[in-house]
Amino acid sequence: MQVLIVIVVPLLLSALAGPAAAETIYVSNEQDNTVAVIDGATMTLSATIDVGRRPRGLALSADKKILFVAEGDGNRIDVVDLAKRQIVGQLPTGADPEFFVVHPDGKRLFVANENDNLVSVVDIAAAQVIGTVDVGVEPEGMAVSPDGRYVACTSETSSMVHLIDAGSLELVDNLLVDTRPRAAAFSPDGKRLWVSSEIRGTVTVFDTLTRAQTGKVQFEVQGIRREGVQAVGIEMSRNGGTAYVALGPANRVAEVDTGTLAVRRLYLVGQRPWHVALSDDQKHLISANGNSGDISFIDLENDEVLKSLPVGRGPWGVVVGP
Amino acid sequence: MKRRHALRALNGIFHRELLRTLRQRGRLVSAMVRPLVWLAIFAAGFRSVLGLSTTPPYQTYVLYEVYVVPGLAAMMLLFHAMASSLAMVYDREMGSMRLLLTAPLPRWYLLGARLLASVVVGLPLVYLFLVVARYWDVRPPMLGYLAVLPALVLSGLMLGAFGLLVSSLSTQMENFAGVMNFVIFPMFFASTALYPLWRLAEAGPVLATVAMLNPFSHAVELIRFALYLRFTPISFLVVLACLLVFFLAAVVGYDPGRGLWSRRGDQ
Amino acid sequence: MNALSLDSVSHSFKQRRVLDAVSFSVAQGRVCILLGRNGAGKTTLFSLVTGLYHARFGSVQVFGHAMRTDPAAALAAMGVVFQQQTLDLDLTTAENLRYHAALHGLAAEVAEARMREELGRLAVLDRLHDPVRSLSGGQRRRVEIARALMHRPRILLLDEPTTGLDVPGRQALAHHVHGLCRERGIAALWATHFLEEVTPEDDVVVLHAGRVQWAGGADRIEAELGVASMTDAFAKLTAAA
Repeated sequence: MQVLIVIVVPLLLSALAGPAAAETIYVSNEQDNTVAVIDGATMTLSATIDVGRRPRGLALSADKKILFVAEGDGNRIDVVDLAKRQIVGQLPTGADPEFFVVHPDGKRLFVANENDNLVSVVDIAAAQVIGTVDVGVEPEGMAVSPDGRYVACTSETSSMVHLIDAGSLELVDNLLVDTRPRAAAFSPDGKRLWVSSEIRGTVTVFDTLTRAQTGKVQFEVQGIRREGVQAVGIEMSRNGGTAYVALGPANRVAEVDTGTLAVRRLYLVGQRPWHVALSDDQKHLISANGNSGDISFIDLENDEVLKSLPVGRGPWGVVVGP
Repeated sequence: MKRRHALRALNGIFHRELLRTLRQRGRLVSAMVRPLVWLAIFAAGFRSVLGLSTTPPYQTYVLYEVYVVPGLAAMMLLFHAMASSLAMVYDREMGSMRLLLTAPLPRWYLLGARLLASVVVGLPLVYLFLVVARYWDVRPPMLGYLAVLPALVLSGLMLGAFGLLVSSLSTQMENFAGVMNFVIFPMFFASTALYPLWRLAEAGPVLATVAMLNPFSHAVELIRFALYLRFTPISFLVVLACLLVFFLAAVVGYDPGRGLWSRRGDQ
Repeated sequence: MNALSLDSVSHSFKQRRVLDAVSFSVAQGRVCILLGRNGAGKTTLFSLVTGLYHARFGSVQVFGHAMRTDPAAALAAMGVVFQQQTLDLDLTTAENLRYHAALHGLAAEVAEARMREELGRLAVLDRLHDPVRSLSGGQRRRVEIARALMHRPRILLLDEPTTGLDVPGRQALAHHVHGLCRERGIAALWATHFLEEVTPEDDVVVLHAGRVQWAGGADRIEAELGVASMTDAFAKLTAAA
């Protein structure tokens, strides 16, 4: 009997632990043409929504009631009503949209058109492309400054980050970065711009105003050759103190101190994490692991990976909604 | 059997086992070094830095060090059980087993007390190993260290009973060494101690089947699950059933009417 | 009632018959010397008498308790000194004796008192806290006898207890055991192949090829067999295969 108590009681206790916030996590499954809907509290898959072909980039509308899903092979963006969990409309984007951002004005999307070397600006209400900006070869990562003034776009082949004036839609500057830049992110105060390099496995940090490079983050995973450590998705904490960087084939997510640019710790997640997202309470981080078809929940309070949950084939983008 | 007599005998057997263990420093050191060598050197060679796929009770990807620690804890129990039954064969050749068996108590009780004492005396080392393994970032939940205790005891008893059975069947030390080679090592390697079942299945379905039928695998899994606050009924039942079968067979092996001694004599 | 009685005890290992209808008894308070050459069956007989295993046929009784049906009572009444070393060499004399006392259910205080008494009686009390490994062969034997007496047995069984001892050591040991039996009125079964360990007041059982060749008082053996000495008597009894 005592044996049973010793075994059963801790079991119950462990079942009660875990993320408590009532959040919903959305993950695009690039190879399944679906968006997985995951209950953040129970860390279980609650639904999958069929979307267009090759969904990658994801973003929530300003009111968080709509999920935009970029259809890479469908050349458009699906508009998903999160209450109904179904597609309620489509937005044109130009060819091969991979990644995009919702402007803080809530009215426009900035979309990278990978094959056309363009950034398209889409009016959400009118469902029209209202402008384009020429950028480098194979534009990929997109970011918008918190004040809405700048949009950053990385171009993979040119190894550049392009700074676009969100009002005039003119190129403000082009900054060279390490090979094959993937993702870009502004700090919450807008003063810094972080750009990841997939091939070099680094993150370069720029001053947004002077556009001078202020530092570089290097990643190292013991036992893995340098080529195996690649930097892709970046997520900034709300207070700006921490950045999380997905390290692709190293199967790790790095936690970086934004002040010192030192890697605080590495989390072992599934295979080839592409993007990461923080929960609203900043206590959990979720990585979308492209090769193992799952997402990993990281408990940032106890610095441990809680669970990896299969969600479909080729998880790529991840966002956390209410 | 008077209860007070039985308890005093149990106490005496525990005490002797403890004293003998403490005086055999070399054995203590090697019992500790063996799993640490695995963890520090062997696991580093085998390690998959990219993480092993999720296998229950783990809910996410784990490093090889994390995976192998419960298996190494079970290995400590296995080698302890074998060293203990080796001592029993030695005792028998040396006669101190006879002394034990001339105590005016039922033989099953004496053998059971010896078995229990041997397992309990071996546990602190396993715990020491689990604590040292934290240095390698193998950090199960704190409650896991408590939950693993019954799993360690039960597994230890099962392996000890197996050793007892082997000792009842082998008349000489040479036979016993043979058993070590042909039973113990396959038992260890063809189990889920070193590799998860899915990886064994990749190596060959036969190996996976053997590992699944291997009681040692179930001891490993019972310990692994308990350490992560989970319970695996199948492994629990397999280990319990094996314990009963091995122990009863060992009691028959040492039975004055049916055992090996009465058939083969002393030499 | 006899201290020990064997009734038609036969035993065999596989096809080899080791004991053949062995019957004899040891009276209370008597020292009985079990004489036999190596291979006569003494060790097997000891194993049967100490309950290590059961005889194929026949019965062994200790103070009326059958070894087969009531081993606990039979074993409680006997103290055993095995031919082999049965002390833990890494443990001290005291630790060895405490272990034995616990197996026989003695309370700790009783065990401490008896340990000192018996070791003192056998003149090895000064080695109480020494590891057994550091003791001489003769001292180890005496410790084993002291141990066998801890639970106050009424019969002492000794299997070749003088093996490995020199002549003075053998004599001293025999002297000790005879003294014990006289003083306390306990019986002893002493198996040996050394004829000089027999004293005239002992009983003798001669075992040869698994059979009892002769049993009776040591003082009568020469007269009954018409020989001049114990050596001649033993030679005559063990001549036939």
